[in-house]
Amino acid sequence: MINFIINNQPVSAAKGETILQAARKAGFYIPTMCYLEKTKPCASCRLCVVEANTTDGLILSCQTPPTEGLEVTLDSDRLQLERTNIMRMYDVNHPLECGVCDKSGACDLQNKTLEFNIDKQHFTAKEQPRKIEHWGLINYDPSLCILCEKCVHVCNEIIGDDAITLQFGGYKSAVIPKNNDKLDCTFCGECIAVCPVGALVSSDFQYKANSWELTPVPAACAHCSAGCSLTYEVKHTSIATGDEERIYRVTNNFEYATLCGAGRFGFDFDVQGQKEPEVFEKAVSALQDAKAIRFSSIITNEEAMILQRLKEKLGIKLFNEEARAYQSFMNAYGSISGKSTFSGTLDAIAQSDAIIILGGRITTDNPGVRYAMTTAARHNGAKIIYMHPLEDALLQNTVTQFIKYEAGAEEGVMAMLAKTLLSDADLSDEFRSFFNELDEGYLCAESNVGDEEFARIEKSLRRTKRKTLVIGSDVLNHNRAQNIARLAALVETYTDFSLIVIPQNVNTVGVSLICDLDRDEEIESVVGYNAKGDFVIASSIGSDLVVPALNSQEGTFVSMNHQLLPTNVAIAFKGYCLNDLGNALGLRMVNTIDYTQQLPKEKGFNATAFDHLGNFYGSLGEDNRGYLLETQDVDANGKLESVESLPEFNGTVIYRCNPVNQFNSYTARTAQLERDSALRGSAQFAAAARISDGDTVEIQSNGSIEVRTFVLDNTLKGTIALSPTFDTEFGVINESYRFEKIKIVRVGS
Amino acid sequence: MHVEPFTDRNVSEQSAYYYVDIENYPVTGWDKFKQVVKRSIKGELFVGLWVVMRELIKFDIHTVQYPKEKLPIGPRYRAVHKLLRLWESGFERCIGCGLCEKICISDCIRMDTRIDENSRKEVTEYSINLGRCIFCGYCAEVCPELAIVHGDRYENASEQRAHFVIKDDMLTPLDFLTSGQQKEYPGFGAITPHEDERVAKTPLAY
Repeated sequence: MINFIINNQPVSAAKGETILQAARKAGFYIPTMCYLEKTKPCASCRLCVVEANTTDGLILSCQTPPTEGLEVTLDSDRLQLERTNIMRMYDVNHPLECGVCDKSGACDLQNKTLEFNIDKQHFTAKEQPRKIEHWGLINYDPSLCILCEKCVHVCNEIIGDDAITLQFGGYKSAVIPKNNDKLDCTFCGECIAVCPVGALVSSDFQYKANSWELTPVPAACAHCSAGCSLTYEVKHTSIATGDEERIYRVTNNFEYATLCGAGRFGFDFDVQGQKEPEVFEKAVSALQDAKAIRFSSIITNEEAMILQRLKEKLGIKLFNEEARAYQSFMNAYGSISGKSTFSGTLDAIAQSDAIIILGGRITTDNPGVRYAMTTAARHNGAKIIYMHPLEDALLQNTVTQFIKYEAGAEEGVMAMLAKTLLSDADLSDEFRSFFNELDEGYLCAESNVGDEEFARIEKSLRRTKRKTLVIGSDVLNHNRAQNIARLAALVETYTDFSLIVIPQNVNTVGVSLICDLDRDEEIESVVGYNAKGDFVIASSIGSDLVVPALNSQEGTFVSMNHQLLPTNVAIAFKGYCLNDLGNALGLRMVNTIDYTQQLPKEKGFNATAFDHLGNFYGSLGEDNRGYLLETQDVDANGKLESVESLPEFNGTVIYRCNPVNQFNSYTARTAQLERDSALRGSAQFAAAARISDGDTVEIQSNGSIEVRTFVLDNTLKGTIALSPTFDTEFGVINESYRFEKIKIVRVGS
Repeated sequence: MHVEPFTDRNVSEQSAYYYVDIENYPVTGWDKFKQVVKRSIKGELFVGLWVVMRELIKFDIHTVQYPKEKLPIGPRYRAVHKLLRLWESGFERCIGCGLCEKICISDCIRMDTRIDENSRKEVTEYSINLGRCIFCGYCAEVCPELAIVHGDRYENASEQRAHFVIKDDMLTPLDFLTSGQQKEYPGFGAITPHEDERVAKTPLAY
């Protein structure tokens, strides 16, 4: 700790903290315009200047760490004048269009202008011709821009798109797309969020509502397992009385959290239902007669709890292959590690200086992990080793070592990786002999990963301190997932690596903890709950009974961090929900959220009532959302199985992988997100499958047939094509291994 | 009349105050009966009636013959709202800033806005629920563009309690504007005289 003095009061700062951070922690106020806690200091606004006893000049508190005994003054006439002059410069020729500006009422410039009492323009500048740019989902008005560079910093340091940059030119400076005429990025919209003025705005939202008219509803994003915090902003839809409400936009606490494009722009996935007693009766009798319920993991914990209770009550089976895969993976993991959950979190990834990712297309599977990785790379110079059969163009600026292995070779690669990482570990003889008996020659040859690549991993991990192993969701559905889980557990237990597994869906973890799942089998009378079945209860139009989507529901999710996250109702639903069905079938609970208290304690939940769960970040970034599940001890009696011979994927192989910002059938029906449902492959794939760009092709796999357009993608290499799943019914997430050998037939062009 | 005799509020020789001579209250039943009869059939009623009768015959009427006649109303009177247009261009003055909607204490203003083809904010709908409006004038006062004002239409009789005015009712028709019939209202929210002197001008030295 460094002890120093601010305004004659003693303050202490942790190592690496700046004067600004220490001052804010101690409750002092220093005005800033460009400061963002999650990025490196932009140091462009110069409002955070302070005086110190060691120097005559003013110092920037945002980037200066304190020294022992330093005496800092935060407010003096000189500082006040300096700051006021800066604010006067900011206001030069700033268009007086607060009346129509989207940011008005929530604008940093407005607030600071009032704070410093700037009511006149003292300086003059010839206004430049500035054109409003339309970049798809984002509009940019350079005349409103104050060039604080926050957008450029998040885009580069946190998101990793590096899509925008500052064009320097004195008074003509502006934000421009980097190396491109048009903005070419993943449209996460984080630049909109951080923009302190109305320069970068959502084109869909622009001029539709004022910030004070919108009712904020704190929630958790329902699209992937990162469970990012977001706020739905709701308003009436028209001037008519009795009109419905709708979500106008999504905002987030950009200071401490990050949100991807699907969360930010994919908010209108709600459906509306009616209370029709006949339909309800049909649903009740369908459930009574059912032998099983098949459901997806895109549900809340409370719904999962009701399904589990229904299972117990009616003696039926519960099918959810995707959550079952995660469940058995975690069971196998526990059998070696002796605990129920892994130690890694998204924060741990962001703070790592070495990250190994195995088996998952991070950028589209889970943008939260991608952003954490980018943060680690840019802030800690982390070594990022990405192991996957397909190279990812979006990660090319982040990944330091890409290791391409053959599809299906995950077990062999994991074994080799574990051997590399555990070479110095104090293993038991049993484990040591497992590694000694590995047939390295065979594994390296079949997986197509050379010895030298593992040697390079070992080399680059030297002198790294905080390491994370990320297991992607490809692995969860691998035939040998359990053995991979044991190997990963071994790495976590015997090295200083922390482990994190990426589940597929928003509540895969919760479902796997709450429900006793059965192996899915093709039997008669299955009720589908957001999944296919003979009677379908789903939050989509056209299902037999419409139930609320996740933005119309109160409840909780369990994120990949094993954190229970509450979510709230943005759009009121008028029909029936699962709790009504449960009550009709003999469960007694007034509200769905009454189940929150009853979530199984033996799995790490605690008995906090829903209404007592927080859903916000503290002013210093403390995560007050829900609670962390307690890690449970389990029996560590697992044994490693010897590595099976690696499967071969020859010919035309597709990889089930959604395009950026698309995850499932919910994102697929939102208005703003692009729906790219094409089969994307390299020229090599096209040659192998004898198809060309723009062809309509039929993909035949395991008895099912999909028709898609083939698009030649120059960013791809190799013989594996990307086939999306979000546009299928219920957006069936991979219930089987994501790489699949298929037959491809050209049916038109 | 001087004030001094009234400063001493006690009834005395010096002060101007005196007790009203009130007869004693009747006590017996007979006395009460006599008082009632005396008051009832005294001719005072006919004195008043005669005055009415006399003026009636003379046709010297002092009341305003509403609805045929209407009194001019004061410029600060707050009747049903109007939305004004810009004199030069004929564009709507309303920029859709939403301040009137926000300030309205009876929450009776609603508007819909959107981005138009020229990337400007356009007000597509604007309504005031007159059943709830208390005609406080805050909307006109807060309006930065002098777009919403209180006009002079105060006749709000309606079959329904909730009577809405929508944008088309309030907005000055274009032919009205071109024929110069749009009125400026010096009432609530209008700029005060000598406003120009109070505004600091932006330096334009180039």
